Amino acid sequence: MLTRIIVYFAYFLKRNKHHTKTKQFFYNLLENSESKMKSYFDAFMICLVMLSVFFLVYSVEHTLNEASEWLEQFVIFIFITEYLLRGWLYSDTHRMIIKEYEKADYLNIKFSLFKTFKKIVGKKLRYIFSFFAIIDLLAILPSYRPLRILRVLLIFRLFKLFRYSNSIKIFSDVLVSKQFELITLAIFMGFLVFISSIAIYLFENISVGGHIRHLYDAFYWSIVTISTVGYGDITPQTTGGRLVTVTLILAGLGVLSFFTSIIVAAFNDKMDSLRDNRTYDELSRYKRHIIICGFGRVGQEVAKQLKKDKLAFIIIDQDKNKIIAAKHEQYLAIQDDASINSVLINAGINTGATAILCTTGSDVANVYITLTSRYLNPTINIISRANRKDSEKKLYQAGANNVIQPFETAGLLAAGFIGQPAAFEAIRGILHGQKNISMDTLIVSPNSLLDKLKIDNLDLEKRKLTLIGVISSNKKHLKHRNSYQVKNQHFYFNPEKYFELQEQDILVVLGRKYSIDYFQDQIKQSSLGL
Amino acid sequence: MKNKIVVFGYNHLSFNAISRLDQQQQEIVVVETDSTLIALAEEKGFNTKALDFRSDENLKSIGIGQDIDIIFCFLPNDSENVFLTLSARAIDTKLEIIAVVESPQASEKLIAAGANKIINPYQICGQKIYELIKKPCMTHIMDHTVFGRHDLHIAEIIIPEDSPLDNTYSSELMLNEKQNLVILGIVDKELGDDFLFILGEKDHKLDTGDIIVVLGPSREINAFKKDISHV
Repeated sequence: MLTRIIVYFAYFLKRNKHHTKTKQFFYNLLENSESKMKSYFDAFMICLVMLSVFFLVYSVEHTLNEASEWLEQFVIFIFITEYLLRGWLYSDTHRMIIKEYEKADYLNIKFSLFKTFKKIVGKKLRYIFSFFAIIDLLAILPSYRPLRILRVLLIFRLFKLFRYSNSIKIFSDVLVSKQFELITLAIFMGFLVFISSIAIYLFENISVGGHIRHLYDAFYWSIVTISTVGYGDITPQTTGGRLVTVTLILAGLGVLSFFTSIIVAAFNDKMDSLRDNRTYDELSRYKRHIIICGFGRVGQEVAKQLKKDKLAFIIIDQDKNKIIAAKHEQYLAIQDDASINSVLINAGINTGATAILCTTGSDVANVYITLTSRYLNPTINIISRANRKDSEKKLYQAGANNVIQPFETAGLLAAGFIGQPAAFEAIRGILHGQKNISMDTLIVSPNSLLDKLKIDNLDLEKRKLTLIGVISSNKKHLKHRNSYQVKNQHFYFNPEKYFELQEQDILVVLGRKYSIDYFQDQIKQSSLGL
Repeated sequence: MKNKIVVFGYNHLSFNAISRLDQQQQEIVVVETDSTLIALAEEKGFNTKALDFRSDENLKSIGIGQDIDIIFCFLPNDSENVFLTLSARAIDTKLEIIAVVESPQASEKLIAAGANKIINPYQICGQKIYELIKKPCMTHIMDHTVFGRHDLHIAEIIIPEDSPLDNTYSSELMLNEKQNLVILGIVDKELGDDFLFILGEKDHKLDTGDIIVVLGPSREINAFKKDISHV
């Protein structure tokens, strides 16, 4: 009967949306490192811990008033709630019951409540004995009045900070990753301390003329000596004692260097991911950025231009040397494979990236990255480089918005130079924006001075601009000559004097940068109607 | 008169460059040592010659120093291109040398070796990608029109002798009204050989030999060429 009630209840919880929602909420609050709520909660907890430690320090020399007692109660309440909530979140008890029940049902054996219960308790015990849970508990326990003696353990609250700060957490992760080495070392050190304590106790006991009064003194002396600190408050007097000291100091040097090397090695291993984390952190400060996959010559050129324009970007490349070169230029860079989903997600393909540039030297890699990016984000602007003509189509199929062939463009320029060097210079000037001259676009904003204006009245000569044409999707213009279909719009080359501009038309003009900027500002201002 | 062009090295770049050139007006020879590449080039219908560019005798034998006007140095290594440029320049001081560059540092060396024009495909590609991000609209227009897919070209027109344009001013041209052409710039021989954009800042006096760079449909360009040669 009891079994049935419990199983029924488990199914009830599974179906209960309210329960799932609440659990999700607390998961976001406490454990989900991607949720905003957790970062607020962490900050709040850090303040709370610092406050309670402040009162602890204050209470050493002063007596606390009632308000601070209340605060202490409040802190403890929060701590206990947090501890219990984390325990609750650690495993889904009702799911475990259902799983066991269904398994038993499927295998046609009797559902044993006791066994299931044992499993559940086992799981919860694993939580209780996890590193952070122990620290949480130690931070709570001293407040229990009969355990006031453990008040000093309140300092463990500071350890609670581990939970809320990422960098401290990484440090503890490093230690955990070297668990095996550290435990070996600890056992070795334990032996050493044990043997030397006994030896020094025997040689230097007060009864034989030494300074060691009891075993605790011997232990204290061993630790001070093995760590090569050597306060000198207890010094060996007998020959035997000195021999023990010499041996222990030498062994201590070994232990210390071993310990240092373990920590250094562990940090070295972790350093790369630490750096990457920092890069991602820095990246998350930008609202819009561009992902450059491949830092070859093309990637470098693009990065240089983007940097000049103060646009944010991140570089992903597999080659270590290229990443070093990128970091040398103070670019954000990650050494990884850009075709791996998680790398692109970390680089912000769905969180702020506006464009992805596939500029690796290999068409195969470019197609693969393009495909991956398109799959991850259906709307992002993907520009890819194709070294071979046949790859162009594949890249478009893979989802690239634009494909560029370095050799095609270069070949065009090379050919253009023959016979028409001046035209070549013109194209180059326009392409590269030389001498501050560039071809640029001006959008006709609604109600601006351009709206419904005839080309004849544009006064371009005075503005020192050359009008090349107008881009528009407006059907009104279709009757004009010289229209060229470009994607889903038309480009009207050299429009006639009576061509009437409509809103959202785009003027293509050639001119110096400041003339264009000035004109643009005028258009913007006039559209505000001031 | 046909231009005589020698292309050293057969690869993507040479293929693209050659196919953009007007085969009728130019006589093109591809020089390559790799027999498989030669076969590929011949398959496309190009004239080829298997020669080692390292020897001056070979270079002279294909006509450098005599009737060759232009050479393309499209060899795979920067060092080879520098070597070729240096050798060719030593044979013929008037030769037009266009070289491709792999690493940016090599471009200065190529200029020092005597190349007239340096092409850096990676830089051009990088620039283009950047343009696509910054001015997507603009780049599409350029791609679709000027770069081939539509009949809109940038052309340069040399003012011939006894042209009606001789001794007129650039502001009087009014090409956009009279000819449906947009004037981009000019090489005013009085001011040197540099290409200057015309933006209404300065009025240029046009003389015989000056070059006007215009943008427009090829029909109009040809018509304009005809007009100005007519007296």
